[in-house]
Amino acid sequence: MAEFSVIGKPFPRIDAKAKAMGDAKYTADMRLPGMLYGKVLRSPFPHARIRQIETARAKGLTGVRAVITAADTPKIKYGLVVDDELPLCDDRVRYVGDEVAAVAAIDRDTAEEALDLIEVEYEELPAVFDPEEALRPGAPVLHEQFPNNVASHLNFERGDIEAGLREAAVVLEETFRTQCHHQYYMENVAALANWSEGKLTIWCPLQFLEIPRQLLAKALNLRLSDIRMIQAYVGGGFGGKLDQKLPVVTALLALKSRRPVLCEHTREEEMQAARPRVPMIIRLKMGARKDGVITAKDTQIIADNGAYSNWAQGILSTAATRVDSAYRYRNIRTDAKLVYTNKTPTGAFRGFGNPQITFAVGSMIDMLARELGIDPAEMHRKNATQTGDVTAHGWVINSCGLTECIDRALERIGWPAKRQQKTFGRGLGVACAIHVSGNRIIGDYDGSAAFVKLNEDGRANVICGEGEIGQGANTIFAQIAAEELGVRYEDVDMSVADTDVTPFALGAWATRVTAIGGNGVRMAARDAKRQLLEAAAEKLEANPDDLVIREGVISVKGLPGRSLTVADAVKASMYKKGGTPVIGRGQFSVDTTVQVGKEKFGNIAPAYSFACQVAEVEVNPETGVVKVLRVVAADDLGRALNPLSAEGQVEGGVVQGLGYALCEELVFEDGRVLEPMEYEVPTAWLAPNVESILVEPIDPFGPYGAKGTGETPLVPVAAVIANAVCDAVGVRITSLPITPEKIRKALKAKQEAAGR
Amino acid sequence: MATRIPMSFTINGDRYEMELPPQRTLLELLRDELGLTGTKESCGAGICGACTVLVDGQPVSSCIKMAFQVKGREITTIEGLAPGGQLDPLQEAFVRHGAIQCGYCTPGMIIIAKGLLLQNPYPSEEEIYEAVGSNICRCTGYVKIVEAVRAVARGER
Repeated sequence: MAEFSVIGKPFPRIDAKAKAMGDAKYTADMRLPGMLYGKVLRSPFPHARIRQIETARAKGLTGVRAVITAADTPKIKYGLVVDDELPLCDDRVRYVGDEVAAVAAIDRDTAEEALDLIEVEYEELPAVFDPEEALRPGAPVLHEQFPNNVASHLNFERGDIEAGLREAAVVLEETFRTQCHHQYYMENVAALANWSEGKLTIWCPLQFLEIPRQLLAKALNLRLSDIRMIQAYVGGGFGGKLDQKLPVVTALLALKSRRPVLCEHTREEEMQAARPRVPMIIRLKMGARKDGVITAKDTQIIADNGAYSNWAQGILSTAATRVDSAYRYRNIRTDAKLVYTNKTPTGAFRGFGNPQITFAVGSMIDMLARELGIDPAEMHRKNATQTGDVTAHGWVINSCGLTECIDRALERIGWPAKRQQKTFGRGLGVACAIHVSGNRIIGDYDGSAAFVKLNEDGRANVICGEGEIGQGANTIFAQIAAEELGVRYEDVDMSVADTDVTPFALGAWATRVTAIGGNGVRMAARDAKRQLLEAAAEKLEANPDDLVIREGVISVKGLPGRSLTVADAVKASMYKKGGTPVIGRGQFSVDTTVQVGKEKFGNIAPAYSFACQVAEVEVNPETGVVKVLRVVAADDLGRALNPLSAEGQVEGGVVQGLGYALCEELVFEDGRVLEPMEYEVPTAWLAPNVESILVEPIDPFGPYGAKGTGETPLVPVAAVIANAVCDAVGVRITSLPITPEKIRKALKAKQEAAGR
Repeated sequence: MATRIPMSFTINGDRYEMELPPQRTLLELLRDELGLTGTKESCGAGICGACTVLVDGQPVSSCIKMAFQVKGREITTIEGLAPGGQLDPLQEAFVRHGAIQCGYCTPGMIIIAKGLLLQNPYPSEEEIYEAVGSNICRCTGYVKIVEAVRAVARGER
């Protein structure tokens, strides 16, 4: 195995010091001369026709510089997959929170006051909140181009589902329900836009810039290159900052007022009008042989889209297919629908449809194992995908540490011994997950590009647009560049993502940044190194192939006296007749396929990550309160390029998953979020001491064998906890979150049934 | 012109005298009037702790504290912990232990931990959880934040 000097070391995050000092500038921390403050007027109704909007009084208020409605926009619909959204509502609103108008004023108080002066005359329309009701004939229709309210419909079959069910010794059916779950990133969405010298510049915390720039250009009818988007520090995203309306509205205010405008969501707006996780109703029928081999999986999904789609088609596709590659299924059938309702539009959240389906499947495997009287862990092991498999959807598994994840997680928690000392109220649960490192779904491109620029002082700049969203991408990229160049980690600086400067980048989603972005940076660093060594070889009168670089010093192999610093080699490359600065260019493309049509077949990612988690819980049968005593999370992430950062991803993902499993839910009543400020996310009190185990099978694709790990650790948590609760008190909770009330109710029903 | 009240503060060792409207929060004073944007706003309702600052050494949610309520007091923000760029041991520990991801909760977390250690240099595990547990972090799962605070409390410098 190669010896690395920077890769695999637990370096502190490259931006940690700036963040620890309060020096890192997030969007809402920025100020421009003449800057205005913007505010959005939102619909109070879940479904209504806009009769008339009167803005004269708002416009007349001193200090107000712009009041905009749909009349001030080109009224072009846009969307990632289907065009179903306008920047500001024209004649109809479709959810409580829909953007109707916006103002920009010299200060926040004036902007607020102006909002109150806008008069909107609405005519309420019948609304539909339940996706099953929205599918019924005669239900209110949200978008005329989707007369059945179905935004996306997938169905496919592999193998022979009926034969699989016949082969089974046991067949179980259950309906699982998952809730609306908010990303609850600590930094509320904000945008700062400035229209100057014929260019619209937008600073914002989006997780990617190029696709939003394309959508913005379309919606505002601007040339793509007239828009410059720059990523500010991102205060958490978790998928929620892939699609946001606020930058679009802020841009419109800047165009109208010809002044810089800053808009920020309040926390209430975040809860009512951001893009939380897609809730799903999952009907699952699965069969298994006596030995635990799964013979059939029959799935029906109804996903609650909310009022607009954006990423939700991709999320439905993920829920419909992803979990199928964690196990060696032969017979599967899936029917999945994405349904419009008059509620907050949903979107991406860590796992992208995968936690929803993994809760259902992970619970079902546990139910089958109990029915068959076998160890559920054994059932996971027996069906687990292996290296070299081509799965039911054509996914090519080049590295798979799933079995090792299962073995090591069980060993750490002491599974067999603990299972024997069974006491009522204490339980163990296990579940597994698969996730992608990349996902070829946008415009049939999945690759990455970067520049590496070397400075005359020997330091390097990595110029890359993939983006840092708090997940540690820039740290990993700096490590990769340092490793390739032979300079110290401390001698690499990272650019911010900036569409005028950084190469086209798809950005931070689908856990793609380390594996795909990392390869782009690696290529660029190698190109820079080649140029550097050519210059050094001339100076040292040696062959470039005989040169090595360590800690910023270039030397001739076997000749310790002959050396040159990287700084001097950069100068040597430049300061001569015909000399050039050292700028490496890296372009990298991934050989995957788009899962086409309704059939959804094809190898969508260059690498796949796996996980197994086990948890021990204590359930108080009187109160129904679940205390999570321990979570062991084994995560197959290929080579851990930075173990400290990888552990952080695992720990954070697990605790977010515990929120999903146990307490977090956006509850709607008539389309309005109830008690938005009472939304409960885990604090340190709820979080157990998560023990992470990094399983590192070397992947042939990823840089140095690395795969992604951003999303995977959240995916199995809800199933693990549901299984542990069932093990503790004998009740199966099939809807999330697993609240004390649901447990009490289930225990009561069980007692009553036993007493009969 | 709305009413303005004259008030003075000591903020990170500097003395300020100003006239502010009565509805101005401490957070607005820091961020909007003084440009001390290290202190963050998140929930705006005193729930999450992102806006925590020290008032006479005590942690306070600055988003629900009115500026006039702290007139004459000594206020320390995250910018005040590293005068001249020399990091506080807590800041060092947060960096070294991987307790920082997106960084948005970080100033509030470091300040609340600072408040704890000022009052109680040798806190118990329970007391560390009490401090960290009153703020929200959405990235780290708290494991490394607790580790960092524990390390400083146990004398790691």
